[in-house]
Amino acid sequence: MSRATIRRALGHRFVAVPLALIVVVVAWNVYIAFNDHGIIEGEVTDRTGAPVIGATVVFFERNFIYYEEKQRAVTDAKGHYRFSDMKTHIGQLEARTDDGRKSARRQLRLWFRSQDTEVAPLVVETPRS
Amino acid sequence: MRRAPGSPRHWPRHAIMIAVSFLMLIPFYWVIKTSLTGENIYAWPPRILPVDPHLFNYVDVWYLIPFGRYLLNSTIVTAMAIAGSLLFNVAAGYALTKHFPGRRWIVVLLLSCMLIPFQATIIPAYLITSWLGVLDTWLGVALPLLSTIICIFIFKASFEAVPPSLIDAARVDGLSEWRIVTRILLPLSKSAIATNVILTFIWSWNSFLWPLITIRSPEMQTLPLGLARFLSVMEDTTGALFAFVVLVLIPGLAIFLMAQKEFIRGLTSGATKG
Repeated sequence: MSRATIRRALGHRFVAVPLALIVVVVAWNVYIAFNDHGIIEGEVTDRTGAPVIGATVVFFERNFIYYEEKQRAVTDAKGHYRFSDMKTHIGQLEARTDDGRKSARRQLRLWFRSQDTEVAPLVVETPRS
Repeated sequence: MRRAPGSPRHWPRHAIMIAVSFLMLIPFYWVIKTSLTGENIYAWPPRILPVDPHLFNYVDVWYLIPFGRYLLNSTIVTAMAIAGSLLFNVAAGYALTKHFPGRRWIVVLLLSCMLIPFQATIIPAYLITSWLGVLDTWLGVALPLLSTIICIFIFKASFEAVPPSLIDAARVDGLSEWRIVTRILLPLSKSAIATNVILTFIWSWNSFLWPLITIRSPEMQTLPLGLARFLSVMEDTTGALFAFVVLVLIPGLAIFLMAQKEFIRGLTSGATKG
């Protein structure tokens, strides 16, 4: 088969469109394979932007129609927290401190299950009475 | 005198056609817009442009239901229906181009069978499928589409358009009937093939009632059944529901857009020469 014939066959829309779809699917799955460790990490700060040490971050997983608590993590000396092996693609994050402050629940939506994600800082505030 | 297509006298007609095209595309636009926003479709006044569009509803569809399994089932059933319909419709269409006793009655019988809706024959069809032992299988779902009367007549019209001298010459050269079909008639009937493929694809892909009756196990369900199941088990999922609809539509639209030239040509040739 000549090169021109192969080029013409590859350029035909019945070949080119499925091939393009296959390339996109394979590339997407390769990307997923390198980024699906289920790591969700971020930082907890107060209103001034200072890191909050020892805050508890709760991850709520969506269970069809409601959110239920799945895992907890505690912030380190830099206010940093990290969840690992999170096999989910949708949930909410909330930070709580021992003195009663807490952050607004942050909606988390991922492009695929177990996607490694860095979340924007959760800001804890004193709840209004 | 025939006017050129770009003539100003054609502009009003083109403007009307463009306006009608936009009207026809509005439901598609609305489905896609809702799948990207998840907003309430009954909200008034309606928003024309999507607000904060995102693709996460598609991710929800992929993970909240076994979408991949439904897609696989629909793909296999459709592939079986297309392969089977090509084989049987070509054979039947070629047979009807021959002159044999009772041919006229067979044509009348086939045409009259087209008047009977599938819903009226669904119980005998179910009993035959059960007797064959293919209920709850891919073959059982594809079975009613393995031969369709419309496509038989499309192939008949296409084969009759081929000059008989060509077939006679092939026969003189020693070709068997099967090779005459595969080597002479089919290469000259690409439009009929494309029409058969697209029609069978659309019928099989969108089929709801027949799979609903023949399929019992959840892992054998096709996309339309999955859509019904999705509606029954999920709540507050307007965006995901519409994303599901878009995902079901995309393969059919892609195939139609790829083969629309052959599809239109096949339908018109069937209409004028049948």
